[in-house]
Amino acid sequence: MALSDSSVDGIIAGGYSEGFVTHIESDTLPPGLDESVIRTISSLKAEPEWMLERRLQAYRHWQGLEEPGWAQIRHPAIDFQSISYYSSPRKKPQLESLDEVDPELLATYEKLGIPLDEQKALAGVAVDAVFDSVSVATTFRETLAEAGVIFCSMSEAIREYPELVQTYMGSVVPYKDNYFAALNSAVFSDGTFVYIPKGVTCPMELSTYFRINEALTGQFERTLIIAEESSQVSYLEGCTAPMRDENQLHAAVVELVAMADAKIKYSTVQNWYPGDSEGRGGIYNFVTKRGDCRGDRSHISWTQVETGSAVTWKYPSCILRGDDSVGEFYSVAVTKGHQQADTGTKMIHIGSNSRSTILSKGISAMQGSNAYRGLVRIAAKAENARNHTQCDSLLIGDRCAAHTFPYIEVKNPSAQVEHEATTSKVSEDQLFYCRQRGLSEEDAVSMIINGFCKEVFNELPMEFAVEAQKLLAVSLEGAVG
Amino acid sequence: MILESYRQAAQTTIESLPGDSGDWLIPQRQAAVKQMLDLGIPHARQETWRYTSVDGLLSKELRPNHRVSDRPVERLDIAPLEEPVAARLVFVDGSYSPELSTGGSQRGYRLGSLRSAMAAGDQSVLRSVASLSGTGDHLFAAMNLACLQDGAVIQLSPGVVIEQPVELLHITTNRKGRHGQQIRHLIELDTDASVKLIERYLSVDDDSDYFNNIVCEISLAEGAEFRHERVQQESDAAYHLCRIHIDLGRNASYRGVTAALGGAWSRTELYNRFSGEGAAFEVDGLYAAGEGQLCDFHLKVDHAVPNCRSREAFKGVLHGAGRAVFDGLIQVKADSQKSEAHLHNANLMLSSRAEVDTKPQLVILADDVQCSHGTSVGQLDEQALFYLRSRGIDGHQARRILCLGFAGEILDRFATVSLREQIENDLLQRMRF
Repeated sequence: MALSDSSVDGIIAGGYSEGFVTHIESDTLPPGLDESVIRTISSLKAEPEWMLERRLQAYRHWQGLEEPGWAQIRHPAIDFQSISYYSSPRKKPQLESLDEVDPELLATYEKLGIPLDEQKALAGVAVDAVFDSVSVATTFRETLAEAGVIFCSMSEAIREYPELVQTYMGSVVPYKDNYFAALNSAVFSDGTFVYIPKGVTCPMELSTYFRINEALTGQFERTLIIAEESSQVSYLEGCTAPMRDENQLHAAVVELVAMADAKIKYSTVQNWYPGDSEGRGGIYNFVTKRGDCRGDRSHISWTQVETGSAVTWKYPSCILRGDDSVGEFYSVAVTKGHQQADTGTKMIHIGSNSRSTILSKGISAMQGSNAYRGLVRIAAKAENARNHTQCDSLLIGDRCAAHTFPYIEVKNPSAQVEHEATTSKVSEDQLFYCRQRGLSEEDAVSMIINGFCKEVFNELPMEFAVEAQKLLAVSLEGAVG
Repeated sequence: MILESYRQAAQTTIESLPGDSGDWLIPQRQAAVKQMLDLGIPHARQETWRYTSVDGLLSKELRPNHRVSDRPVERLDIAPLEEPVAARLVFVDGSYSPELSTGGSQRGYRLGSLRSAMAAGDQSVLRSVASLSGTGDHLFAAMNLACLQDGAVIQLSPGVVIEQPVELLHITTNRKGRHGQQIRHLIELDTDASVKLIERYLSVDDDSDYFNNIVCEISLAEGAEFRHERVQQESDAAYHLCRIHIDLGRNASYRGVTAALGGAWSRTELYNRFSGEGAAFEVDGLYAAGEGQLCDFHLKVDHAVPNCRSREAFKGVLHGAGRAVFDGLIQVKADSQKSEAHLHNANLMLSSRAEVDTKPQLVILADDVQCSHGTSVGQLDEQALFYLRSRGIDGHQARRILCLGFAGEILDRFATVSLREQIENDLLQRMRF
């Protein structure tokens, strides 16, 4: 399919509609990282001694590590000393209602379309909005409290529920796990904590919007979701960041724990600033996400739509420890301009009859580079484990790249593992068929691309599915047709 | 320590070369020794060695072997082919044996020993050595060049077609001692030339402990056609490492089939590069690994120019505590439009102690391409077994039929019928069917 120059210009000109900066006075630590920075973060957040110890332990370990270089991404070296590790909107007295929240802050969310006010909240979404590093507003606490669900910021959880945090934090992603997990464990600023008690189905979808606002600040959230026996929760994570020239580092850690018969569904729409048309600026997104299916028949499902960030390095994984446990990974990753994504999943089958499904759709346009990297491991004692993996890549433009790196390790003969991958451009035949029926080329391509991603979008909660489709359309606007 | 002993062994080999005559590629060998030291010992943190440990290989000293076999000649004529061949070059313990070989150079083509070419200082041959492989990008590849012992030279002039196949038969007679046999084949087909090569690796004794370290360079000029049947039936204690470099010119075609059945540890690295448009590369492979065996295949297919086709299909049967590693990379460079590449790997696990690590990869930098890979790991289909049992076939026989059916797709690619039969029988014997 021929791309006209004007259409390519169209995407660039399309710009980044979320690229505004909110001017709020904020408390920000000077750039740099050493033990005193970590002590300051810990004391600013009034953390107990054990938390500080954990941070320091992680920091000392991190110092001995080397930054990983195996991913299919290239970027200038990150200077960890030039980043500020803490930024918090100016401390306000305890707020009683939304009226007391800084109006400019609310206006920011308004622009992002976050349903924070009462009316929008009726849409059934409870939002714990992370503005830079500190949670500023939490809604629906009461409804959730009635059900026994704990949904709060990580800082609050450390103060209020220390035994839960101590038991579970780091139990899925230990600080020794990898370079960025170690860094996060040392300097994490805030994040979300969710606890669903035994037998409870969370009465609403939980949602957090992460927002990186302050220039030159890294965002290091820490999310921990615990689903006790026979409980269920669906969690939505959406991300946007304003337009800035310097690359900003984002190194989050997400840990999910699902006990017997519990089900966690984690959905992400990531739309961070991807950098400009020359590849300047944009977010570096190095995320460690992992779910632990601890109990029998537990179920963890990851769905992600990645359209933003200059560099994405992210492998939401499932450890299928329980018998009959289920892991799922559905992903759409779009890279255009100079964006690079190296993303995929790990499915570690330990329990008998554990099953996993991987469906990854990569779309590369312009100079975008998209890599699927996945591991399916069937341990020796995982009887009758089953995996099906499908990775499809769609290429738009002759300077883009698509890569597939699946690793399959099988130690049990009763396993059935399948992997399929295809790479191609939008087929001339499909295009011709649509054109012949009177569709414009642009509509035809957009229809084909939507069809290409449909199986993944179907997995998203409704509100997100709409946003995701909109994002995809905006992302690829003019790139096709 | 090991590196130092390798260096010494390599230096001893180089110093023992007859310096007064011929061209023994001394500067290249010296460069390779340096390369060996620079590269060091492969380890699991290197991506291409992630699943394949070389510990067993390093556990003993590797001395180059220059001893001439004292086995009676008739013992060495094991498993002959029934089909007539244009020539048969026999290598005993890594060295060319003129007594056992038949046929040789004719008008329009050259068939002979690389060592003889070196002794004669034949520049037309020596210039080509290492032109595809380079000095070697891992320790053992560099070691091959440094300690290069012997191998075959096959050169065809433009338009020459050899109707009957050429056979390269490698026989190891060593009973004791871990010998390193550094073999290198140089194959060059000029424009529109065509030949079929049958390459076999056999051992006289089932428990011989040796290391065959082979590098094979195949360059095909415009329109050349090369057919390749390759069988590795080393002894159960042997180590076998083979690195094959193939370069295809415009409209050239390579069609190969390979079977790896023997060896305690075997690894085949296949590097294919398209350097002219319109070329086609096809390879099928069968591997089997049982008790104490590791079988590793590494493929890299490089679509460096547009309009080329490649297809690779590999099947593995794992029994006992057998382990298999498969790593297949298809790479399509920028602007290599209209590339078509398909890779398939299927593994059959017959035992609870077997292990498979498979990693097909696609790296695509052009958009108008059709690329796919697929891989599967599974066991025998219960329903198919039941079907056969219900027709009065006992379980053992039923499994045999299904395994042969699985392997048959690859075995059928062997056009040399007696060779196909030998492989099938060997496979059944190894799997205790």
